[in-house]
Amino acid sequence: MMVFAQLLPIAAEEAENGEGGLEILLPATSELIAGIIAFAIVFFFVWRFAVPAINRALEQRQAAISGQIEDAEKAKAQAESLLADYKAQLADARNEANRIVEEARQDAEQVRADVIAKADEEATQIRSKAREDATAEKERALADARSQVGDISVDLAGRIVGESLDPQAHRELIDRYLADLERL
Amino acid sequence: MEPLILAVEECDFVNEPVCAPGDVAELFVFTDTLWGTPITRTIFLIGLAALIVIALLYFGYRNRQPVPTKFQAMMDSVTGFVRDEVAIGIIGPEGVKYFPYLLSIFLFILVGNLFEVTPLINFPITSRMAIPAFLAIVTYLIFVIVGFAKNGFRYLADIVWPRSVPVAMRPLVGIIEFVSYFAIRPFSLAVRLFANMVAGHVMLSLLLVTGFIFVVNIGEIPLKGSFGFAWFALGLGIFLFEIMVAVLQAYIFTLLSAVYIQTSVHPEH
Repeated sequence: MMVFAQLLPIAAEEAENGEGGLEILLPATSELIAGIIAFAIVFFFVWRFAVPAINRALEQRQAAISGQIEDAEKAKAQAESLLADYKAQLADARNEANRIVEEARQDAEQVRADVIAKADEEATQIRSKAREDATAEKERALADARSQVGDISVDLAGRIVGESLDPQAHRELIDRYLADLERL
Repeated sequence: MEPLILAVEECDFVNEPVCAPGDVAELFVFTDTLWGTPITRTIFLIGLAALIVIALLYFGYRNRQPVPTKFQAMMDSVTGFVRDEVAIGIIGPEGVKYFPYLLSIFLFILVGNLFEVTPLINFPITSRMAIPAFLAIVTYLIFVIVGFAKNGFRYLADIVWPRSVPVAMRPLVGIIEFVSYFAIRPFSLAVRLFANMVAGHVMLSLLLVTGFIFVVNIGEIPLKGSFGFAWFALGLGIFLFEIMVAVLQAYIFTLLSAVYIQTSVHPEH
């Protein structure tokens, strides 16, 4: 600032002495013409070439950005539909599993009922067979006993009575005895 | 480098407080022509600025791939800023129509301003009144023509007879508004840019040249020579400051142009 203060009187002195000051303040004709031509060229270039290129670059970038947004939205929609698919598939699978488990449970129930019924039937069969066997055995034992009792009775009676008993009486006795046995 | 060499030759560093050229115009007016043509250094730099602007846009927007290079991304942020924040942000949706003009003045002034701090150039073309004056007049023509084209005679009537202020105040406010719109606006637009760049160039030239000469001749002037370091350091600080000023003034010029156009597009605001 000191320098500037020192400079001011110098400039003022120069302005008084000659044309210095005015020459600085007023536009020089040659420079004015040069400036007009140079600026006209700059403006023409900017107007015809630069601004269209600038707008193109701007549009390109906007197009690129909106394209990217579009792509992202597409990918998002795709992902969402995939997710929905997977969810539906998962739900299907769960239903299927439930159905299979239910079926298996019903099958098992059926098998259990069948087994029980069959076992019951077998038990009944075995019991009736056993009863039949026992009856037959009893019949057989009775028949055996009856024939043995006859033999023993004849033998015993022969010993007790000896020869005194006539054959006619003997036979009648036996028959009667047997008839009595039959009545048992 | 021309003014620097002149200053070194002319500077009476033993007696003078600073090494300033005999005529301050020597820092700004170059009369030597290049290659036998009428092209002076300033005119050459004006052409160079135009070429740099075109090159920046050309390399920023050719061979665009979906993913831009670092340079292209930087150009995108610059053009996007002028388009979205200045053109559309200030003027509204129809601001897109004025985007080519606003982008042109922003880049042209920005490059012209940054010449102040560009090594080997060290001279802002916007410190010559021709550029700010011409661009301010173009902005002036645009907002006046748009104002009348969009609103007809009402554009002028609303300015000189503002219905939003009390009746008693209208003649006074009307005169102030009229002068402000049609006389002060283009003038202040041009002078703001011009004066900022002139001041910056003068400060940088004097501080850096004086500092340099004092330090180089420290054997003859031990006290001044040691002050030369301070001048030089201050000059470097202002160098950084001037980078900010260069960007800021380009932005302000563009922003105010947009604001002026906006008041013509929507005069009720």
